Amino acid sequence: MAHPAQMGFQDAATPVMEELLHFHDHALMIVYLISTMVFYIIVAMVTTELTNKYILDSQEIEIMWTALPAIILVLIAMPSIRVLYLMDEINDPHLTIKAMGHQWYWSYEYTDYENLTFDSYMTPTQDLTPGQFRLLETDHRMVVPTDAPIRVLVSAEDVLHSWAVPSLGVKMDAVPGRLNQTAFIASRAGVFYGQCSEICGANHSFMPIVVEAVPLEHFEIWTAMMMEDV
Amino acid sequence: MLKTVLKQLKSHPALIPLFIFIGGGATMSMLYLGRLALKNPDCSWDRKNNPEPWNKIGPNDQYKLFAVNMDYSKLKKDRPDF
Repeated sequence: MAHPAQMGFQDAATPVMEELLHFHDHALMIVYLISTMVFYIIVAMVTTELTNKYILDSQEIEIMWTALPAIILVLIAMPSIRVLYLMDEINDPHLTIKAMGHQWYWSYEYTDYENLTFDSYMTPTQDLTPGQFRLLETDHRMVVPTDAPIRVLVSAEDVLHSWAVPSLGVKMDAVPGRLNQTAFIASRAGVFYGQCSEICGANHSFMPIVVEAVPLEHFEIWTAMMMEDV
Repeated sequence: MLKTVLKQLKSHPALIPLFIFIGGGATMSMLYLGRLALKNPDCSWDRKNNPEPWNKIGPNDQYKLFAVNMDYSKLKKDRPDF
């Protein structure tokens, strides 16, 4: 989850999010370098006492400031395209979960083997126990096994929603009448928080998503327990 | 038209990288658009001879431009044959 005064991304929990993080570092470094250089040039121009009223043109510098930005753009584009295609790869999922958006909660359906369906409502602030996060906790978490490609099919039952979990590098719009697919591999165990990312009414800010990644044996224990309760 | 441009280029050689990068960029975009138009299985151009190309992709086909981390030929085919 995000922490106060956080400036960067949340820690990555999937390989795709790691790649996005590294690409962002690369692109941001280029942006910082260009901005610093431009700011330095501005300050130098403003504070100099030298003048030359007879410069008309200069072919060499024009070649430089055409070729260099083009090369920089190519250097940004190559990793960008790579991450873009990486995000779209179809990776033979072990498990398919359907995340359905409602006003104002998510419901998860694990229907590969058994018929496991449950709703996930936000824990109201007055019901929080010490250590829990305000407006982020839910009564039921979406539990997934680690190191397994998971396919999430996202849709909505009423209005537009969006299923987003920043640590997993996942955001997919939930459109009523449409099935959107996204996938991720949780590379470490943990609890990952996200919030609905498409305005959907009065409680749009109060329908969070919690994904809990656990080793496979624990995932199987959890599914058995959920099937008993439901 | 071309002769005028070439004459101007001789006195302003700084324009040469401009032509190269803009020309290269435009060419690459057009080539990619052409590839999308012709080889993308999502759209049907010839309703008589090839009405639904999206039904013809096999489970192992790679239809995107390139694959970063995935060997599509090794993908398991676990759906029923028709």
